[in-house]
Amino acid sequence: MQLLHNDYLHLAVRLLIGGLFLYAGSPKILDTMGFAASIYNYKLFPSPIIGLTAAFIPWVEVLAGLALILGVKVRGASLLISVLLVVFLILAAISAIRGLDIDCGCFSGVERKANWLAIFEDLTLLGCSFFIFYFDRLRVSPIALIKKRNNPDKKEALQ
Amino acid sequence: MWIVGLAIILGGALNYTLLLDAIDGKLIAEIQQKQLVELRQKAEQLYPGISFIDLVSAKKLYDDKIALFLDARTAPEYQREHISGAINLPIRALVLGDIEINNVLPDKGALLITYCDGGECDIGLELAKELSKRGYNNIFVLGEGYPGWENAGYPMERPEQRSCNYYIMTTYI
Repeated sequence: MQLLHNDYLHLAVRLLIGGLFLYAGSPKILDTMGFAASIYNYKLFPSPIIGLTAAFIPWVEVLAGLALILGVKVRGASLLISVLLVVFLILAAISAIRGLDIDCGCFSGVERKANWLAIFEDLTLLGCSFFIFYFDRLRVSPIALIKKRNNPDKKEALQ
Repeated sequence: MWIVGLAIILGGALNYTLLLDAIDGKLIAEIQQKQLVELRQKAEQLYPGISFIDLVSAKKLYDDKIALFLDARTAPEYQREHISGAINLPIRALVLGDIEINNVLPDKGALLITYCDGGECDIGLELAKELSKRGYNNIFVLGEGYPGWENAGYPMERPEQRSCNYYIMTTYI
């Protein structure tokens, strides 16, 4: 159990999830219409919901990813990411039950079906996100390191 | 929460035309149009011999009872709804040899129109390609698929909405 409290494990998971969401969100910002098409393919939402989701969610993904990488507002960012993952989990499960053969729209340019494998992967990411939220350890982060360098006397206070 | 606030500001500022279209209800039509264009581009690159047919021309052939419509989707999707009179010919079953195509379509010169879920799917296109490989030479793809057909108000069948007894009869007998 001591491993769960390891600063470097926390950093690694944060960088992994943050990087993944940065990678997932950036192409969607550049191709909002393509992401809107992916949401439309689920055949569950009316036009206004598709538009709102396509316009805002990629920015939430990118900003939350950046926050995790930089170690800023980590709990809030991981909570947001968990909410996005839970929503996707529900959508993927509905699509799998309905037998839809559609791209999940998770990563632009990468073919990934909304099937049971995607659900398993999503659950793994959700576990990582909960880990970041629950074991909130910010001793190792770019921001903390900058603060340490600028205020060496307050080294202990940061910990 | 600053992330949500910033996302709303940035997303709203950069996508206001998309948001306006979404609120006006035009977004879905734009998406369908975009998907259709991409499907046609894909067809030109990968399946140069396959031709598309527009909705109006397809409906004329349907009314004149000249063309046979082939639904490339899976059986459950076909059971939910399909173009009235269409035959279910799932691409997977055809490729795996579960369907003896010469028994289903003995006339190689028959006018065939394949379709699936519209521009978002390409199995209608793949079915046309498979049939072309097997010697059928009069095939068109209805790029708009059944959603376009339905939106145009053309005849549809919804077997799952019929009575349970009728569904059992048509499916298992």
